[in-house]
Amino acid sequence: MSLLKTPAVVLKSRKWGDADRIVTFFTLKHGKVRGVARGARRMKSRFGSSLEPFVHCDLVLFEKPGDTLYRISQTDIRHAFPSIRTSLEAITGAARLANLAGAVTADGDAVPRVFQALLEGLRAVGESGDPVLTAALYELEILRFAGYLPHLDRCNACQQRTNGGTWFFSPRAGGTVCSACVRQEPVRCPSVSPACLAFFRQALRMELALLPRLKPTAAIRNELYDVIELYVECVAGRRMPRTHGVTGEERVPGRSGWAGGKVAEKRPVYRSRAAAHV
Amino acid sequence: MDRNGILDELVRELTSLPGIGRKTAQRLAFHILKQPSEDAERLIRTIRAVKEKLGLCRQCRNIAEGELCDICRDPTRDATRVVVVEDVTTLHALERTGGYKGLYHVLAGALSPLDGVGPADIRTQDLVDRIAQSKVEEVIVATSPTIEGEATAIYLSRLIKPFGIRISRIACGVPVGMDLEYADEVTLIKSLDGRREI
Ligand SMILES: [Zn+2]
Ligand SMILES: [Zn+2]
Repeated sequence: MSLLKTPAVVLKSRKWGDADRIVTFFTLKHGKVRGVARGARRMKSRFGSSLEPFVHCDLVLFEKPGDTLYRISQTDIRHAFPSIRTSLEAITGAARLANLAGAVTADGDAVPRVFQALLEGLRAVGESGDPVLTAALYELEILRFAGYLPHLDRCNACQQRTNGGTWFFSPRAGGTVCSACVRQEPVRCPSVSPACLAFFRQALRMELALLPRLKPTAAIRNELYDVIELYVECVAGRRMPRTHGVTGEERVPGRSGWAGGKVAEKRPVYRSRAAAHV
Repeated sequence: MDRNGILDELVRELTSLPGIGRKTAQRLAFHILKQPSEDAERLIRTIRAVKEKLGLCRQCRNIAEGELCDICRDPTRDATRVVVVEDVTTLHALERTGGYKGLYHVLAGALSPLDGVGPADIRTQDLVDRIAQSKVEEVIVATSPTIEGEATAIYLSRLIKPFGIRISRIACGVPVGMDLEYADEVTLIKSLDGRREI
């Protein structure tokens, strides 16, 4: 029986049996792991609130030979981000980040920079006056560090530089395509306005800590959300859990006009293992 | 053990129940096999009766024999107050205390942005319709202090505020009998937020 100690963020926690919980963590040293916490739902459980989603804690796990499920032995809260819990938009934004970090990494693969982006994102979403936008920007950061940085400086099919004209975002190509090449794309590629493209590039160039200063217009936001939603879906290889309809703000207003319903397939860095569910 | 026979089928059926693993299912199956016929018959009759006679209350979605549940039918209960819970189990826990004399509303679970469970999935509109059509004056949200329960409570408060009736959230804090020094950060913040004058 071996012992693992690592900083971790709770991605998901679900009831198990009469009083236990099965918890999915994104850990700094061991990537995504699942563990069982015995008696976690009892009133006087030693785990307290440390197994609630989005909590950043120091985690101690026991590995049992022949079992993919770890035994959670100890948790010490580092940051509980209590402000996330006071707003629906923040809860929803945090959920998008947690689901994305889980979807773009494979079980047991440590990706420290994704861990860092997730942690920064949770903190920023909790403090943000505009958690929906903040979450979207940190979704980009998580994608970047998972190896899916969108390429926006040229057509990703014919290599023509992006200056002037109408451009489209191809989730499959992971970036912009020109109006000629978009016709070859098998799935819907939303058009991106020059203003949105400029905003996108700026967001990707900026330091993490400065991201909350960006204030795009409503039109740019809607384009941005649409592109991110499609790209995330393509990278994850599946539809992510719906979050719109819960908050007042519709994350993907353009979505209703989309008849395709087909998820584009992109070859992720982690190939076959990338679609592992959280 | 007989691999494909009817005993194995019973084990499979029992394993499909929540919280029952293969070993427990086998123990239960052997117990049923050895038990006198009339005991097994009684179990079969009870399960059948539950399936045939019980449904959900038209007003509050509690378990009911007929249109309305016992609580909604009881004329001595205060129909101006409604406690909203995530599931029937919570309703029964609150009933066991004997300290509450109003009515209930049972949602079909809690909102979960992590799992994509939205307002329509937990049937929040039923509660809105009920408030619009009845003499409810106060709604007490008794969802769990989990992220799902909190999201549900915030959502309900937005939904119900326009009716201009009282809406409150059950207090969350330190369990009775616990030493404060062992309470964690989130629990302590919650108990400070939920303080009241003495
Ligand atoms: Zn091109
Ligand atoms: Zn009823």
